[in-house]
Order: sequence, then C-alpha cells, then structure tokens
Amino acid sequence: MGRSIAGVTEVDFALIGHQESWRAAADVLAVLRGPERTPLPDDEIRDILPWLPPRAVCHVDIESLGGARARGLYIDSFIAPDRLADAYVRDNIARVREAAAYAIKAGAKIVSLGGFSSILIEGNFDQLPQRHATVFTTGNTLTVGFIVQGIRKMCAMEGRDLRRSTLLIVGATGDLGSGCARCLAGDVRRVLLTARNMERLRRLAVELEAEGVAVEVATDLRQFSSEADVVICAASLASPSLLLGRVAPEAIICDAGFPKNLAPGAEMPGAKVFFGGLGQVMGGLRFTPDFHGVLNRHPFPDVVHGCLLEGMALALERRFEPFSQGRGFITPERVEEVETIAARHGIYLAPLYNADGPLEETAESSCLPALLPA
Amino acid sequence: MEPAIDSKCALPAAFTSLSPSALIWQDVLAQAMTGELLAAMNYTSLADICDDPAEVADALEHAQGERGHAAAFAAEGRRIGVSVTNNVDARHWKRLRQAFLRCIAERDFIACLIVQEIMLESFAVASYARVGKVAPGTLGKTFAAIAAEEEEHIEHAMEILRAERALDEQRFDDKVYQLHLEVMTTLAEMLARDCSHGHCEVCHGSCVKPALPDVRLSAAELRGASLHQYLKTLDKLGLPGEVTLTWVAQLPV
Repeated sequence: MGRSIAGVTEVDFALIGHQESWRAAADVLAVLRGPERTPLPDDEIRDILPWLPPRAVCHVDIESLGGARARGLYIDSFIAPDRLADAYVRDNIARVREAAAYAIKAGAKIVSLGGFSSILIEGNFDQLPQRHATVFTTGNTLTVGFIVQGIRKMCAMEGRDLRRSTLLIVGATGDLGSGCARCLAGDVRRVLLTARNMERLRRLAVELEAEGVAVEVATDLRQFSSEADVVICAASLASPSLLLGRVAPEAIICDAGFPKNLAPGAEMPGAKVFFGGLGQVMGGLRFTPDFHGVLNRHPFPDVVHGCLLEGMALALERRFEPFSQGRGFITPERVEEVETIAARHGIYLAPLYNADGPLEETAESSCLPALLPA
Repeated sequence: MEPAIDSKCALPAAFTSLSPSALIWQDVLAQAMTGELLAAMNYTSLADICDDPAEVADALEHAQGERGHAAAFAAEGRRIGVSVTNNVDARHWKRLRQAFLRCIAERDFIACLIVQEIMLESFAVASYARVGKVAPGTLGKTFAAIAAEEEEHIEHAMEILRAERALDEQRFDDKVYQLHLEVMTTLAEMLARDCSHGHCEVCHGSCVKPALPDVRLSAAELRGASLHQYLKTLDKLGLPGEVTLTWVAQLPV
C-alpha cells in the first residue's frame, strides 16, 4: 500500500493549520506525491487544493530538553491561500470544524489552532465539535509571549529604550492585539491603538488607562501622527506603505499578522521589520513523512508559530486544558505562565528574521537565558 | 459494440437550429449515458458471481435501474433536440470495464463493489450533482435526481464493505489501494483538464471540456468534486484519511 503514517493509535496533540501561499501548498503536495513523480503544475494545484477535505498530513514528534516526549498530528484544513478574505468565512469555519472533528476522531487530547484557523475560531468556539476528552486552544497566549519577547529583543538589539517609546498596535482589539497591549502598555511612554471597532477600542483604552497608561484610539491609522516608534501589526496590513507617514521613519515593526506580508520596503528604509510570534524547539522536532522546511518555512531550524507551539508545550507538560479560548482574555500573568511551561521544555523565542532573511547571525544567539521569562 | 439504447429517434421539429449549449449538453449526456450503461453491464456481470439469490436479484435490479438512468439521459437529449449516443468501448470506459471484469474473473464480490460503488459511483454522484446545479429545467432535475439515487446505492454497499473491512483492515485497505491504482488513475485521466492522450471517443466532435465554462461547469470542478466525494466515501469506510490523501495526491493530472 502507499506510504502510510497510520498505525499509531494514540496522539497527544493535533495542530490545525493551512498553507499561507500557493508555493507552500505546492511543496506540501510535492512531498505527498513523492520524489519519483513530477510535481503538479501550479494551475493544477489551484484546481485541486480547494477540493481536498481537511485531514492529517503527517505525524509530529516533539521532545523537550528534559526528555519528555509528545506525539501529534498536523492536520491541514486546506483553506486555499487566496480564500482568506471575509467572503469565505463560513466555508473556512466549516473547514476548521471538519479538521477539529478529524482531530477528535484521532484521539488528540489537545488541539492547537494555527494561523488563520485561530483568527476564525477565537470568537466562534461554540462552533467546534465538542468532546470531553479533547480540548482546543487558539495558542494565542504563547504567540503574544513571543511577540512581546521579540519587541524587547529587537529594542535591545537596536539600542532603543522601550520605556521612552510610543507603541502603536494595529488590530488592537483582537486576541493578539489586546494581549500585547496588556503586556507592554506599562513598559512604554504612550500607547496608540487602532482597530475597526471603536466601541471595543474604547473598552480596551479604559482598561489600560485604569493602570495609569496614556492611550489614544482611532479606527483609522491616518488619524495618528508619526510619533510611534514601536509598532505591532497584530492584523495583516495590505502593505507596509500604509504605515508610511504614520510611524517614525526608523520604527521597529513587528509583523504579527497572518499571513505575514510586511517586507522592509524602499519607502521606509530605516524601519526595522521582523516577523513576530514565532518560537523555536531546542529539544527535537520530527515530521513523518519528512515535512521539515515545508510545513515550517523559516530560515532557522525547528521554528514554529507560537499558536501551534502552545499546544505542543502543554502536551509535553501533560496539561491538557483549553489554555487560550475566546477573545480578550490574555493577561501578562497567563503569558508568563505559558512562557514558563514552554521554556521548561526548551521552546524559546525564535531568532528574529524578516522577508529579507535573518536579523541575527546565529540561531544560538536567540536563546539567551536573559530573554526568558523570570 | 451496438449502443444499448437506440438514440436514432426523430428530433423535434422545433430544434432545427441548435444552441451551442445544446451541443455541450449532448456530450455531457453522452458521457453520463455511457457511464450508466457501463454500470448496468457491471451489475449484470456481478449477478453472475453472486451465490445468494437475494444478491443476484439485487444486482439485476441495480442493472435495470442504471439502464433506466441511461434512458432518462437519452430522453433529456431528445427534449433539447440532440441525439445522445454512447460508447462503452471508448478508451477510458473500456479500461474501467476491463478492470471490473478482472474482479469478476476472480469472483471477488468485494472488489466489484469497491470499483463500482466506491470509485465509479463517487464520480457519478459528484459529477451529476454539479451538473444538476447548473443545467436548465428538467435536464438539471434529472441529473440531480439520479445523483441522489446513486448515493443511495453507495449507502447500501457501504454496510457490506464496512463489515468486510472489520474482518481484516490491512488486507481490505491493500485491496482498495490496488484497485485505486488502476481505476482511479483512469478516472483521473478522464477528468483531466484536457484530453492530452487523444479523443475520448465519446464526445461527438472535439473535446467538450474547453466548452464547459459556457454552461457554468469546468473539468477542474468536476474532477475536484469527484475526488472530494471519493475521499469522503473512503473516510466513511474507515480508511485513514492521511493515507487516502496521499493516494489522491499521487494521481496523474
């Protein structure tokens, strides 16, 4: 029979994801076809992918530095890369729901929702199939942790004093944006929040102001002057040029949206853009069949999105609980808790990089103990 | 081989000048009619290897039902003013028939069900359902109704096949895979974006596929829907989804 990854009766975790580009989707299908077959032409991939029902693509084995092991499945929802827009929300939620049912059937104890799946479901948990033995987490708490760690690290690398900075969060009322705001607001001079919903913005501002933080809100980025020198894009921006004239010319910009599409552009040559929310597994990470560099397409080894790593860290910890659910519940205390769990198993902030490549010389330099949560 | 249904009936006088879409539907109907007649032949052959009189009766009843579907497609052709021919000896259909006859020769009842009910019917149900959504008037209704009937066939066979798989999962899955390699490869070639291996010998003129968008269909959509239905059917049988995904990913395009 064809290559099989079946035969394993028990999995600790499942990761639900999808490919963020047609190139990535082509690479996944190329691995499934095997090296002896001609890769599918791009137009065939665009024809076939939207028809594939969600299902497991490979097994994932993770090992902590302390020797703990967990086994899981990567389940692709096969959401097409060009169907992430609002027009496809219902179909995409149905796909995530189907992937969730697959995870339940496979016996996963904890399920992490990766990438766009997390965005779709964070306000729609009631739409997931329910089964007592399987819990779901968006993984957003660890993602927030890695975003915040990345901001601090980038400031340190650039010799910036975060306490004197003005922080702008784009997509501030989402789970990631509000979590980052709560974690960083007390560390900066001023906070600017932007999102589409003014009522939610006001509520978040009131919450932060109660902590003595100076906050400004706007539904339109253009209402802000250009003083923000630290920026977190928690929601995808169509183009970095939208930030042009709205942030300081040499701003540190964390692209924490999905898909990550901010490139250091010619318009803002002084801006320091990095991809945020990513962690690195220092113990061991294995895909069966071998999807290394295909499912995790990063310039450093064993780098994975924080949202997926949260479920893997909790599985290694044998804490099968819905750690991150809903929208707006991420607190600095919860972030610290999950960061500590992750660090205990050798899961740390990934080396920083952007679309142009690594921003650090060595992978090892990202794992300095000083950057870990206390 | 002589067509099993005589389609040389007189056309209505009103259809002296056919619309371009009628000629597209003519080829769509020809493919569907050929598939139905092939299914009727397969069920008739299946009756020959059944020991249980109830199973024999069941197979013959199915064969009759498939002939009824073929007649319904021929009637829809007449309604829009086209003659619907069939050719069960056309290159792809012949290979499918030969694959089925090998199962018959081995008196492998389960293999016959896998080929006919899981593979061929998956393609029929999915394709007919898509056509049913876009075809006008009674043509669309006929395709949709036949899709629903074929789906009932599958449900009936699923019970037998699930019970068989429960006896020895690995052996069953290996058998499905071997049949998949032959039958699904042929079906994938049939529904490839274009007929790169030559004329299919069913379309009455040039290949109908490039014209399908004119009636809000496409070969890619029919293939995608069919593979989707096939994967979901295998899921219902209990085959591991990650394994069947690899099978489908390895099909020719």
